[in-house]
Order: sequence, then C-alpha cells, then structure tokens
Amino acid sequence: MKNIQKALFLAVMGAGLMAPVQAEEVHMIMCGGEIREADQVVISAFEAKYSGVTVNAEAVPWGTCQDKSMTLAAAGDPVGLAYIGSRTLKQLARSGLILPVSIGDDQQAMYQPGVLNTVTDGGQTWGFPHAFSTKALFINCGLVEEAGMACVAPKTWTGMYAMAKAINDNTSAAGIGVTGKDFDNTMHQFLNYLYSNGGSVNDAATGEITFNSPETIETLEFYGKLAGVAQEGPMGYERGQLTQLYNDGQIGMYINGPWGAGQHNDNIAEIVVPIPAGPSGSSGTLLITDSIAVFKGSANEDLAMELAMMLSSGEAQYDLDKSWGLTPIMQYEKMMDDVYYTTDYWQTFVAPIGSGGPEPMFEDFKALQAGINGAIQGMILGEGSAADLVAEAAEILAEGN
Amino acid sequence: MSSLLQMLKPKTKSQTTTMFAWALIAPAALVMFWIVLWPLYETFRLSFTNSNLGTLMGGADFVGWENYEKAIGGRKFPAIVTRTFYWMFLSVGFKMILGLIGATLLASNIRGRGIMRALVMPPWIVPIAIGCFGWVWLYNGHFGLLSNFIEMVGITDGPFSFLAYKQSAFYSAVVTDVWIGTPMVTLFFLAAMQGVPKDLYEAAYVDGASRWYRFRRITLPQIMPTIVSMALLSAIWTFNSFEIIWILTEGGPRGATTTLIIDTFKTAIFSYKFGAGATRAVLVVLILGVFSVIYLTVLGRLTKKYNYGGVQK
Repeated sequence: MKNIQKALFLAVMGAGLMAPVQAEEVHMIMCGGEIREADQVVISAFEAKYSGVTVNAEAVPWGTCQDKSMTLAAAGDPVGLAYIGSRTLKQLARSGLILPVSIGDDQQAMYQPGVLNTVTDGGQTWGFPHAFSTKALFINCGLVEEAGMACVAPKTWTGMYAMAKAINDNTSAAGIGVTGKDFDNTMHQFLNYLYSNGGSVNDAATGEITFNSPETIETLEFYGKLAGVAQEGPMGYERGQLTQLYNDGQIGMYINGPWGAGQHNDNIAEIVVPIPAGPSGSSGTLLITDSIAVFKGSANEDLAMELAMMLSSGEAQYDLDKSWGLTPIMQYEKMMDDVYYTTDYWQTFVAPIGSGGPEPMFEDFKALQAGINGAIQGMILGEGSAADLVAEAAEILAEGN
Repeated sequence: MSSLLQMLKPKTKSQTTTMFAWALIAPAALVMFWIVLWPLYETFRLSFTNSNLGTLMGGADFVGWENYEKAIGGRKFPAIVTRTFYWMFLSVGFKMILGLIGATLLASNIRGRGIMRALVMPPWIVPIAIGCFGWVWLYNGHFGLLSNFIEMVGITDGPFSFLAYKQSAFYSAVVTDVWIGTPMVTLFFLAAMQGVPKDLYEAAYVDGASRWYRFRRITLPQIMPTIVSMALLSAIWTFNSFEIIWILTEGGPRGATTTLIIDTFKTAIFSYKFGAGATRAVLVVLILGVFSVIYLTVLGRLTKKYNYGGVQK
C-alpha cells in the first residue's frame, strides 16, 4: 500500500513539474505537399522567437489539402493556420470558420493590383496573400517550324488557332494542349481565355453573376474549337499532364504559369507569349492567389496570426516568390533595386497583371468549378450549344454564389 | 437496490442461460449500437436539416422534407438512379458469370490447379486504390497499354483515352469493378462446389449424364444458395462501390459515372452540404432495402424450386 501511495505521489508531482514546460503547438497545414525552404526559414525564426512554441507544419497535396483543412474546422478541431487557395476564403468566412486578418496600410500598398481583391469579402480581408500566379502561352517552336510556320507570337485567337491547326495537320503532334478533366485548373484555363475576351464571372462589387454573356459564349465556342486541334481526349487531362505531353513533344502549345520554363525540357526551343486576345477583348490573364488563413477556435489563435503575418511579410515573401518562380505578389521594385523579374520572360507574366481578372470568390466554391467545368465538358462532348451550356452553368453559379 | 437485484435474479435454469447469453453479447451489442445505430440515427436526423460547413457542430435548422424534395425532384436524380442500377446489374452479372466459369475451371482436375487458384487472388488482395491507379495508367490515352494495343491491332487510328468519353469511361469502370470483384465470387463458388457430394456425380455418370447435364442438374442446384447469397452481397457492395469510380473518374466525365454513392459523397463531403448529403445516404439505404426485400422474395421462390441443397425435382 505504501508503495502505491509513493507511486501516486511521484506521478502527481511529475505531472505538476511537467506542465509548465509542456510546449505549445501551432498546427499548420501547407497545401502543395511540401514545406518550402523559404517558409521553413520563417517557421524556424518563429520558433526561435517564441521559446517553447513549436510549429507542426503538415504538408498535404493540393488534391486533398483544402478539404482536410475545411473538414477539420467544420468538425470543431481546426488547425491554427492553413495555406490554401484564396477561392475557399469566402465559404470559410461565411461559415464562421476563419478570422479576419489585418494587413497594414504599408503592406497593402505594396501588393500588385488585384491581389487584395482575391482575399476580400464583405469589406474584410480573410487571408494573407502568399502566392500569386499569372499565365502565358508556351509555344514549342520546333513543332511550329516543322509545320511550316514562323514561330512568332500569335496576337489573336484567329492567329493562335491557325498555328495550332497547322501543327495538328502537318506534324505528328497535336496543335495545342487543352484541359477538360474535372479539376480546378480546367476552369482556370478557361478563365484565361474568358478574361482575354472581355468576359467575367461575376460582378465583384455586387456579386451578381455575369457569366451568361455573349463574351462567355464566344469563349466557350472557341474552347470547343481548340479541342478539335488538341490532344486526343481533353477530358482526361489537367494542366500537370499537359506539361508531360509538352515535354514529350506531343502538343505544340499550352497555357502555364511562370514556373513552366523550369518544368520544361531544356531541348525544347520555346517562346512564351501573352495569351492571345479574343474578338471581344484584349490579352488578359487569370490572377490566382493562395493565402494563409487563420482558423477560428484553435488553441493558439494569436500565435497562428503572428506566424501567418511573418510568413507573408516583405523579405520572407520575396524569398519565396523568387525561389519558387512565382509571379511577384508585391511590387518589390519599390523596396529594392535588384529584383528577379526584370527579364523579358518575366515581363510576359508581370505586364498583364493590371488587365487580369481575379479567380472569383464564391460561397460554394465547388459550385464555381462544377458549373464552369460542366460547360467546358459539355462543349467538348458536343452536348448542346454554347449558349445553352453557358446558361446552365450560370444557373449553377447563381446557386453557389 | 436490493429489490432490483432481486428482480434480476434468475428464477429458473432457462432464465440463467438467457441472461448469461445476453451478458455475453452485451459488449458486442453496445459496440454495434455505437458504430451502426447511432450513426444511422444521426444520418437520418441530419437529412432533415440544412447542416453545412458552418453548422456541422450545431446551429443547423430543421427543414422538414425540403432536402428530400430537392433530391428526388432534381433533374439529374432519375438518371443517377437508373445509372446506378445499370452499373450494379452489369457489374454483378459479369462477376457471377465469370466467377462461375472460374470456379468450375478451378474445381476441375487440371494440371497446375494450385498455381491457378493462387493466381486468381491478386486483384482481390491488392489494395483497391493501388489496383485502380494501375487501371488509370492502362486507360491513359497517350502512354496507356490498352490504347497502344488497340492502336497496334488497328481498332483505332490513334491514341484513345478510355476515361475521357462518357460511354467508354462508364464501361471501363465496370471492367475494373469486375476485375476487382470476381476473385472473391470465384472463391466462394469454388468452396461451394467442393462441398457437393461426389456420389451425386458418380451416380449421374453411371446413368450416362453428360458434363453439361451434371453441371446443370447437380452443381448449379447444389450451389444455388451460395449463388443467391453472393449475388445479393455483391449487388449491395457494387451499388455502394465508391473508391473504384472515384479514383478512375470522380463521377465524370459530365456525370457519366456518377452513381448514387458518388452523388452522395459529392454533395456531403465535396460540397459540404451535409444535410443534403445525408438525405441521399438515407435514400440509398431505402432503395437498397426495397431491392433486398424484392430480391429475398425471389430468393424464397428459388429456394422452394431448388429445394435448397437437394437435387432439382
């Protein structure tokens, strides 16, 4: 009996002594499947600043990451912060699962035009923008020349289609890579064309759906036309798979972000050009951001907010953009003289920022994808006129808005 | 307290036995309640609410039959139900036929029978996800084996992405489901065949019955209980088959492989409409319940006809 009493006493004493030194933990989910070196540097600095606090940074692939973050929050076990697509923020905010964030005036002034629109809803900012991309058209000049054409940037859809058709007809490759798989970047590809034709998805100020327009119908028709000179079975492909086809010389061109050059084989002679303009618009691009959202109800909300701010602030953010080959999210030239994006290649991605359109924010962001992808797939399959498919998609978008 | 104990105290030997039996099954019954009945009740309750991402932990409103009206009245619902049953009948039908053929071959006295029995197993042993990813590669248009093969033998004049078209995606999913599901059916049938008394075959052989006649009049009736049980189980599993379709096509293209269970997942988990998703889950239970009742009625008639385990009269 005495031994039992001793054991209990020691256990209680031990627990009492352990409690004060028990580390606090900030749980962070990082979409993309890896913790990037530039982010790890900040995380280490954060842990050094807050002794006894550890950051449990969990890298999760994009395919399941956002669902995991959202489901954990909905189930009452939220992570501290998560790096996720900004398109999810409206749904998270309106569901009361994330906290509004405060970005200082100085930092707000530094962001590229349009960036803050991708994280703002109802007059409040819901995430720290952390990654930014614009898109351009990559063209394999070897295939263009093999098709008997000069490898110069097509300025319009007409020129682009003519080039793709020439490659398709005169080489063993398909003219262009077109996505049609039920995946977010299928919608993204389409929005690049839509924004280059003067179209829009919704009115940013009122939220009214503006998708059902002549510009969208024209864009969808063009997308269907492109599918006719694209790789076989576009509905089996998302952008990552197009990169493989491009590297294998099986498609003549496709749309990708600034990281594209780093993914392509060195032996491909390519040009990178702005997305050609549609008949009703001028060259544009889709502006996509990913953000760091701070979840409501985690054990360490304040620490999570602090970490989110550190990750997305000035120099740390610059290091990330530069090391990962992202479109600069801020106008770093105002901060420093020597920036990484002064080359012609980078200007192809930086110049269209002002004329780009945002990835729309929807309360049901999956409806956005389902609606637009449904129209694209319907067009590729020939299951209705572009006008009908756009009208059907607009209905789905209205339900999800 | 003492009066309660007095009441519970068994008065006869039979009561003692009954109470002992209850005591033995109580832990299992509690676990079953916790993992089956309670979730079932919660699903049913959720189906009458507008539970979503923000209200899962509380705050969802009761909406009556609204979710059911929307689900059943939706323009895609009839097509999804029809597709689900077509998927089920096609897939189960092939599994039964191939399983029966496979079991018959494996039961026969052929050389290398042991190896062949082992070779049947892999599709069932390999984790479903891994098997499905293998099929995704096979179905790929540009570097898939099947596409290259049909191009090589001249069926197509270029690459063909099996999962990129509505019909080919649907039938490709059926093929994969059959590939995964057939081994288990085969082994069950094989086990049943091995239980058929040999003297029945010997007597029939002496009477001059052909192989086909012996199969039709002895084997089939003898293993019929296994066939009908297996068919029902397989039908329920196939009806609710999720991972195969999800990994191959996620229900696409353009809904061509969306079955009820995929629609339920998309609504509840993919779109965070937990209330509407629960409604679909309840509908799945109801539809399968009705199907099972009909099936078991037919089974009862078959039982009478084949006299369960006896030779057909």
